[in-house]
Amino acid sequence: MIRNMSKLLRKTKKKKQNQQESKPQDALHQSFNENVEIFRSIYENCSDVVFRPFSIFGKTRAMIIYIDGLSDVEGLDENVLSPLMQETANESQPFNELLENKLPVSNVKKVNLLADCIESISTGNPILLYEGGSDGFSLSLAKWEKRSIEEPAAESGIRGPREGFTESLQVSTAQLRRIIKSPALKIQSMKIGSYTRTTVALAYIEGVADQTLIDEATNRLQRIEIDGILESEYIEALIEDNPYSPFPQIKSTERPDVACANLLEGRIVILVEGTPFTLIAPISFFSLLQSQEDYYQSFMISTFIRWLRYGFFVISLLFPALYVAVTTFHQEMLPQALLLSIAAARETVPFPALVEALMMEITFEALREAGVRLPKQVGSAISIVGALVIGQAAVQAGLVSAPMVIVVAITGIASFMIPSYIMAISVRMLRFPIIFFAGTLGLLGITMGIIAIAIHLCSLRSFGEPYLAPLAPLKGRELKDALWKSPLWKMGTRPHFTGESNVYRQAQGQAPSSKKGGESGN
Amino acid sequence: MLVKRKGSHFMKRILFLLSLSGLLLLLSGCWDRQEVNDLAIVTAAAIDKKGDNQVELSVQVFVPKSLGGGGGQGGGSEGGGTGKTTLVISQKGVNVAEALSMVQSELPRKVFWGQCKVFIFGEKAAKEGIQDHVDFLLRHPQPRERADVFVSEGKAKRLLELQTLLERDVSEAIREQAKLGVGMKVTLQDLGEMLASEAQAAALPYLKIVTEKSEEVSYQFVKNFATAVFKNDQMIGQISQRKTRGLLWLKNEVKDYTVTVKPKDTKGGISLNPISVHLDLIPQIQGEKWKMVVKVQTEGSVIQNGTNLDLNNPKSLKMIEKVYEEDIKKYIESTIGQVQHKLKADIVDFAKEFHRKYPEQWKQAEHRWEEVFPEVKVNIYVDANIQRQGNINESERRREEKR
Repeated sequence: MIRNMSKLLRKTKKKKQNQQESKPQDALHQSFNENVEIFRSIYENCSDVVFRPFSIFGKTRAMIIYIDGLSDVEGLDENVLSPLMQETANESQPFNELLENKLPVSNVKKVNLLADCIESISTGNPILLYEGGSDGFSLSLAKWEKRSIEEPAAESGIRGPREGFTESLQVSTAQLRRIIKSPALKIQSMKIGSYTRTTVALAYIEGVADQTLIDEATNRLQRIEIDGILESEYIEALIEDNPYSPFPQIKSTERPDVACANLLEGRIVILVEGTPFTLIAPISFFSLLQSQEDYYQSFMISTFIRWLRYGFFVISLLFPALYVAVTTFHQEMLPQALLLSIAAARETVPFPALVEALMMEITFEALREAGVRLPKQVGSAISIVGALVIGQAAVQAGLVSAPMVIVVAITGIASFMIPSYIMAISVRMLRFPIIFFAGTLGLLGITMGIIAIAIHLCSLRSFGEPYLAPLAPLKGRELKDALWKSPLWKMGTRPHFTGESNVYRQAQGQAPSSKKGGESGN
Repeated sequence: MLVKRKGSHFMKRILFLLSLSGLLLLLSGCWDRQEVNDLAIVTAAAIDKKGDNQVELSVQVFVPKSLGGGGGQGGGSEGGGTGKTTLVISQKGVNVAEALSMVQSELPRKVFWGQCKVFIFGEKAAKEGIQDHVDFLLRHPQPRERADVFVSEGKAKRLLELQTLLERDVSEAIREQAKLGVGMKVTLQDLGEMLASEAQAAALPYLKIVTEKSEEVSYQFVKNFATAVFKNDQMIGQISQRKTRGLLWLKNEVKDYTVTVKPKDTKGGISLNPISVHLDLIPQIQGEKWKMVVKVQTEGSVIQNGTNLDLNNPKSLKMIEKVYEEDIKKYIESTIGQVQHKLKADIVDFAKEFHRKYPEQWKQAEHRWEEVFPEVKVNIYVDANIQRQGNINESERRREEKR
């Protein structure tokens, strides 16, 4: 990263034919004038960078460099400029110690390197340079416009905390820290992107997360050399195990409670500045079909809803394909009355079932996509177009059969039942080849498609952990949180693959009962 | 870098293979594909005898337009199912297969047997022998083995042309009625097994068209009337509805009918429904004498009491049980009498029971079972219990008596 930066700087320097060949890793010059010159040449044509010359205690020349809009100007006036300009010096103290004492700013860092200065300025912390010192001060006065904490739009729920991560990394890490107060929560940050210099933070709980996992994650993150990181997907795309898989191998969430739940199970969370979506790894297939609310409800309800979700996951993947296969190859499989109804409905349809299904599914996907992109003011138009034109008119015109509309509608609802949006999209995409298989080979084709997907899922890994765990490899103890959801007091152990280093998460035998409550006096 | 290049090469190969297998799918050309609107869905089929050595196959084909589900350009003017829901087409041929090919030549759509759940043999065809036709139905991949088979009085085709009021079409009416268990219900598979069995006899439900007349309308409907009895594969006679009940007892297929008994010394009758039936056929061979013990255990519930008996009184309950037992016994006896001595066809499948228990003796008697069967002595023991006598209401006659 540093190398890239220097390359870049060198290039600009060469172009300018500047006499000063200073590299970022160089220390600041002794000479104040020279330092100022260097900065001026670095920030040439940067109209948003402010150079504010003044003199400290009326004697020493000094310069404050900051970026307009990233720093707290009022704070700068009040806490830096006014004390330094107005007060007089106490000569007995060394000058830079004196400076530190006179600055009522919470975090003042001494910086020696040019690179550090640049870093500090770009993150919004003004740099104070003064005459006679080969170092500057980085003043933590960064302040810029932020979005306030809001309820996450993509992961809403009935019960549970309503706050979501925001674009600001500091706020996000603070949200984590507010939930997990133990110092064992470690947040390591690094800068990725030669131009964007985006802060990426790796969060984990020491002693719960496996050290090899942390090392692996750090490694993978450090390997990234790219011009910019605009969203956490950039990171995801560069660190996932199998880039050629339609299935997400890293989960993204914008909920602090979900991130913390995963931290407590020994996973790592990667927070990226500039996006509310944080990454969770390693994950399994089943975790993508679980929502945070599964844990905020009674285990019976959670299990029921989980199974509903599994069922609709299958429907979402297979229903149109099954319809096509059964109506074009296996008509004897349907109950007689149903087949006759379908036959009556299909009587006027000019297309084969396969074409009909593909047409309707593609239209539905287009409607969905258009709905996402559409401005809110015209949003209602899409539902009218969708419901009336596609649904009713097409059926009335005899272009599409009513059962097919029902199939597509149920499939659409089913795909929205998958809590993870990325997972839902990949299922939607896989639906098409399976419909095609069904249209050419019937149930045999569907079986082929399912087998192909199953093989792929079995071979998939997320940060080295098997994707289908705990089903394949079978970990009987862990089915408690996959096939069904055990009550909280039965979830005594952390997941095998991620929480191995610290197995027990709670005391045993906490099943509540009225008898125990009475005995507690003993 | 080397690794990267290798990876991309690998991916190229995978993509190549994937596209190849994609083409493979297209090669098949969907040869087996049949759109629903290219099918003539057969809902029932009738096989009749026509002239000399000719077979007439009639198929009842569903007319999808009649349901009016598609909306249609006419704005649903023809919707609501005003038209006939089915169409009957018949053609002659040397055998069913040939007749079928003739039927196909009349239809613009492919004949689809997969949903045909009713096969009816005309009486004449049944008397000539049905083995040939059954062979076709079992050999062809499409007809269902679980379809019901019937014999009709007269021509079977007439049944297919009937209009029904309650059900969608006559095939459904016949099927639903058979399901109720009022008469016999024999599937194609059962029939195949019967024809191949040692008993060499078969029984099929016998349908009859009945006309219900009221002042304004007369309405024809199909009645699952009696039972047609086959020996080898030829129909040799029929047994009445009453005796069919006895047959149901013997076949352990009693489901839903009411027995009304009239105890002695009382006025009126008492009606019972059997709740559960347990049947034991115990074959015995003593010397040269072949004997069959039929044990029936049944529980009944009282559904109507028109007598002056107090059912809470164990004595009268016992009495009714006794009468009930005798009634069942009478049913069974009369059925067995006819089957054994008049028709001489082992439709109750005693042969299987003897074969199982006495394989040695069976081997010797196998070839002359026809002669042995009428000689088998049948002992019937019925054990009936009345479980639910009903305490809510007292019978009117009983009340009168009390006064």
